[in-house]
Amino acid sequence: MKKLYWVLSLMVWWCPAFAQELYVNTEPASNMATHSVGIRVENQGYFNPTYKDRSTLEVMYGASKNWMIHGSLYESNYYEADHHFEGGSVYAKYRFLSIDSVQKHFRGAFFVKASSINNPLPNQEISLEGDNSGAQGGVVFTQLLHKLALSASTSYLQAFNNRGGFDLPQENSRDAVAYTFSAGYLLLPKSYENYNQVNLNLYVELLGKDNPGYGQSYLDIAPAVQLIFNSVCRLDFSYRTPIYNDMIRSSKNTYLVRLEYNIFNVF
Amino acid sequence: MKTLKLFIAILALSVGIANAQFTKAELQVSGLTCSMCSKATEKSLRTLDFISDIKVDLNKNIFVLTFKKDVPVNIDLISKKVQNSGFFVNNLKLTFNFNGVKLADNYFNYAGDTYKVINATHPLTGDVAVTVVDKGFSPPNVYKKYPATDSKPGKVYHLVI
Repeated sequence: MKKLYWVLSLMVWWCPAFAQELYVNTEPASNMATHSVGIRVENQGYFNPTYKDRSTLEVMYGASKNWMIHGSLYESNYYEADHHFEGGSVYAKYRFLSIDSVQKHFRGAFFVKASSINNPLPNQEISLEGDNSGAQGGVVFTQLLHKLALSASTSYLQAFNNRGGFDLPQENSRDAVAYTFSAGYLLLPKSYENYNQVNLNLYVELLGKDNPGYGQSYLDIAPAVQLIFNSVCRLDFSYRTPIYNDMIRSSKNTYLVRLEYNIFNVF
Repeated sequence: MKTLKLFIAILALSVGIANAQFTKAELQVSGLTCSMCSKATEKSLRTLDFISDIKVDLNKNIFVLTFKKDVPVNIDLISKKVQNSGFFVNNLKLTFNFNGVKLADNYFNYAGDTYKVINATHPLTGDVAVTVVDKGFSPPNVYKKYPATDSKPGKVYHLVI
């Protein structure tokens, strides 16, 4: 807890130096442009005790000015010796609040997610990103202040039995509470001249989960670097590591590499 | 001679009508900073058939729109495209050519829409820059200053010089 206080204080102190809300480990309250499609190819993994990795294909679509949807497919060797297809998830976000002015906004959004996964269940963490079948619902608020963007979210997760006969063990928590806090900063360019300039964004995100009544919780810190090319293509790098950890999970000490390409006005 | 007079009259009238047109606009969009957001907004605006060119100031989030000569401009669609991109119109300053347009009690019609120049005190001619002060085109502190009190039925756009 002392550690958390220390990290939060440090982040608050650093805040004026952070910004941008194209977060790497979380979603902001803002949506994509209507009728735009984003395609993400992602790889994440860990090196200890042995190297294991997961790849994700994610497609995002701006359905209207207030609604956006994501669909993801997962494959990994986290739970078996070989890589195999694990299942998928769908995510929807509804922006219900927008208070905008020039180079500033405050937005709020509700989101829901559901996943169907065929992995065994050795972990205590409920994670809908390839590990658990389940459902999630939450709320996120994002504040953009020119080059600084801050975002916070909280959500509730419910785990179901996984497909393939992998029932959730009796001793496992069936639900969890997740919370995140993210800060991003547009470092480069200092001043825009055209769309082709490479953007460099820096992020620090806090990712926490708690299994209520089980004494199982964790809080990770996840610094990230992001490059944006031609204002359409995004390259993300991140590494998450625990500030404290009392939960058996695969997401401890994991790297993330992601390529995203955006196509505007598709249909 | 009569025919010639009529011809000149028709010519003058048609020139007048042809002149009465939005020629360009300065659009400031609120709620964004990054070039990815600006690009999404510009791409969305470019789908409008009455826009011929867009120049963008990425630092001030201002889009300078040039309109086609013969295609009617629908300003509601400009606001809609910006909102569909996830942002809002903070300011829309249009240049309107008033040649051949007579204000009647400060109202005029253009392409089937009714406009009211709130603070026009004399007849307007040539290019005049007007700012739209309605909801969807300006922030609340601006559009609340100009509550609609129109004698005309239907939708009326409100402009200030």
